[in-house]
Amino acid sequence: MDATAITAVNGPGERPQKPARRVPTFVYSIGLLILIVLCLQAGNQNFLSAYNLLTILDFSVILLLVGLGQMCAILVGGNDLSVGGNISFTSVVFVMLIGRIGVLAYPACLVMGVAVGVINGVLLTRVRIPSFIATLGTGGILASLAMVFAPVPVNIPTNQWKYLSVITEKTFGVSNTLLLGLGILLLYQFFYRYTVTGKRIYFTGNNINMAWMSGIDVAAARIIAFAICGLSAAAAGIMISAEQYGSNPYLGEPYILNSIAVVVVGGTALTGGTGGVVNTLIGALIMGVLKNGMNVVGIDQYFQQSILGVMIIICAVLTFDRTKTTVIK
Amino acid sequence: MSDTTLIPTPVLRLSGITKVYPGVVALEGVDLAIYPNEVVGLIGENGAGKSTLMKVLVGYVQPDSGRLETAKDGPVFLSGPASAIEHGIGMVFQEGALIPNLSVLDNLFLCHEKTFERFGFLSHRTMRRIAREQIRLAQIDVDVDSLVQDLSLANRQMVEVARLLWLSSIYGHPNPVLILDEPTAILSDTEVDTLFAILRSIKHRASVVLISHRLSEVVENSDRIVILKDGRNVAEMPAGSAKISEIEQLMVGHEVSADRYLEEHQHEPQEVEVLRVEELRVEGQFEPLDFSLRKGEIVGLIGLIGSGKEAVRDCLTGIRRADGGHIFLEGLKVSPANPHQSIRLGIGHVPIERRSQGLATGMSVQDNINLLVLKSLRRGGLLTRRAGRRNAQRWVERCRIKTPSLDVLSGTLSGGNQQKVVIAKWIGANTRFLILDHPTRGVDVGAKEEIYHLIRDLSLEGIGMLIMCDTLEEDIGLSHRILLMKEGRLIKEMAAAPNAKPTPSDIIKFIV
Repeated sequence: MDATAITAVNGPGERPQKPARRVPTFVYSIGLLILIVLCLQAGNQNFLSAYNLLTILDFSVILLLVGLGQMCAILVGGNDLSVGGNISFTSVVFVMLIGRIGVLAYPACLVMGVAVGVINGVLLTRVRIPSFIATLGTGGILASLAMVFAPVPVNIPTNQWKYLSVITEKTFGVSNTLLLGLGILLLYQFFYRYTVTGKRIYFTGNNINMAWMSGIDVAAARIIAFAICGLSAAAAGIMISAEQYGSNPYLGEPYILNSIAVVVVGGTALTGGTGGVVNTLIGALIMGVLKNGMNVVGIDQYFQQSILGVMIIICAVLTFDRTKTTVIK
Repeated sequence: MSDTTLIPTPVLRLSGITKVYPGVVALEGVDLAIYPNEVVGLIGENGAGKSTLMKVLVGYVQPDSGRLETAKDGPVFLSGPASAIEHGIGMVFQEGALIPNLSVLDNLFLCHEKTFERFGFLSHRTMRRIAREQIRLAQIDVDVDSLVQDLSLANRQMVEVARLLWLSSIYGHPNPVLILDEPTAILSDTEVDTLFAILRSIKHRASVVLISHRLSEVVENSDRIVILKDGRNVAEMPAGSAKISEIEQLMVGHEVSADRYLEEHQHEPQEVEVLRVEELRVEGQFEPLDFSLRKGEIVGLIGLIGSGKEAVRDCLTGIRRADGGHIFLEGLKVSPANPHQSIRLGIGHVPIERRSQGLATGMSVQDNINLLVLKSLRRGGLLTRRAGRRNAQRWVERCRIKTPSLDVLSGTLSGGNQQKVVIAKWIGANTRFLILDHPTRGVDVGAKEEIYHLIRDLSLEGIGMLIMCDTLEEDIGLSHRILLMKEGRLIKEMAAAPNAKPTPSDIIKFIV
């Protein structure tokens, strides 16, 4: 309302005076990331060593993967709380399946992840339950199923480890986890930049009413976004199992809120439709650097969570675009 | 400033109000005095500073310099609407400030329930009695227990007025100042009449500041007119002696051409029919109706709210399904079941609610323009930056959209340019028949003219258009032909050839 009032003062026909170009939100996040790295480097000279940096990246890959999935759900205007249950469930099932069907466990688990996402999407679009509630439900079901299937931590027998090489080994000195993460990141970027479906997810999240009236199948866009989220969570579940040569039914839980934090810290608005892949990458790096760095610098384990909490709030303050929403919920 | 009333002391006086926003002076030394028991019409183009001035009046923004004085309290500082009402200044907001799922009574006393507290408990009996009394005083015909969402728009505004009157009375202001921002924009014509009748009747205990785009309405219903332009006072006159053409000239700063709707560019449409509707009907909304529209023809659909024209529009755009009848597009029988299908048939729709239905405000100008044609912009199955930019650039130039760049968020453009983005989106998508629902709503005079040019150009290119406009003048001026609807029936068709246009009063006769 202000904007129109201001611009037209120039008189009709004149080019409206605009304030300087909007700074993309991820610029703030990058600044913050650099600041955090410098602080941690001051605390421990070995923080920026090549070895430690690789460790951080390896560690951030899982966060990035779940974060990218969560980003889809958030971009389309919802959120997905079932990622935690999804990760636990897939990872447990993966461990159990790989002994029986070998390599086929990979596609089987990924398909399961997609199925979970589609169910979430259908609950949202057809049954018309808010995604917050729908995914809370499905996530709970999955988490409990994981416990039913594996009441105690399960391990992958050594004779099956050969199937895990695609994740656990290294190529040209770089861990496969990292390469996979990079590949998936590029796929995401490609999807949102170059495909019509990717654009439609943005339109739907930005203004679902307009999107529908412009002929976009908004139900399809939302289901696809949640399916991608489910797929990513399943991929993360598989990676965790492979890295740990085993699984337990609780390992997905921390990712529920961490994945949302990754997205928000990167500067993607919870209101949907703005933000993107680069934002999420930076968000994952910030979270990864902090978690690793606090160990390297030697901050008390119990106290780390507080610092993380403070950082999330600071990032949200810096990157959250308050111009879009007048009422903050 | 010449005082036109005989009463010497104004209830409220603003002097030298200046407000600067980054890069722009919104108000520059504006003076405004409001006297007891008068209706002041505040007039100016979009962006002349009316909104900012109103925000200053209710404490929504604080001026950089200048004074605000009330007769009762002297110089005052308003920190927000709550403190404004304590000084007897209240505003009825354009979008309505009531809570729809609460009752009239709850809304009346919202946040001031403490007045009715006895021994720490609310006395519902007293509340109800006072509520009835206030509603009766404001001459509104509603039950205090009905929910606000069930009221008509006019009644909602009157409830707001009643609330402001009550609030100022408990703060001890015998003559509060009520500001009404575009009160009639959302009302049907009969509701407008009711609103003004009620405003006249409360004049003996309040002053009213009336802001409206509809000049004739302001002139008819005000005692005095204040004109702003570019954030400055330009003129002030008693409403009785005001001429609309004179006011327009003062507002715009130059003479408005008589041929505002570009009637000389109104060319005979092509012979070929683009749309034909036969026996179309929706139960409870409108009875079977027939009409047709030729290529390049502009047809105005006119009727009061509730005449069924919205349902006709919704059937054509696929927002709802008709209960019977046929729609033919270039001779082909179609039955769009959703917007997706009607768009594929070449039916476009510039919706009335630009920000919530027409535009992804958080996405770039380019994204918005390309939305409908994304698939055709693919090269080898993929969207490329170059094809997207080229297409958007073409339509930005074609529709003369003023934007710093293609990557600017569409929501940051001015209303007129936002609307041009929405129109560009549709005409870029091979639209053969376009519905323009209030295409110039909330758009300043300059941009209006450009939109009229655009509409004339589209007509020349053979796009058939059904228009529903803000004012009857606009409907008449733009259309080749006019369809009148009343109570769910298509009652009359009128030709509107250039130089032989019907007058608004010809039309009002039929639709009311």
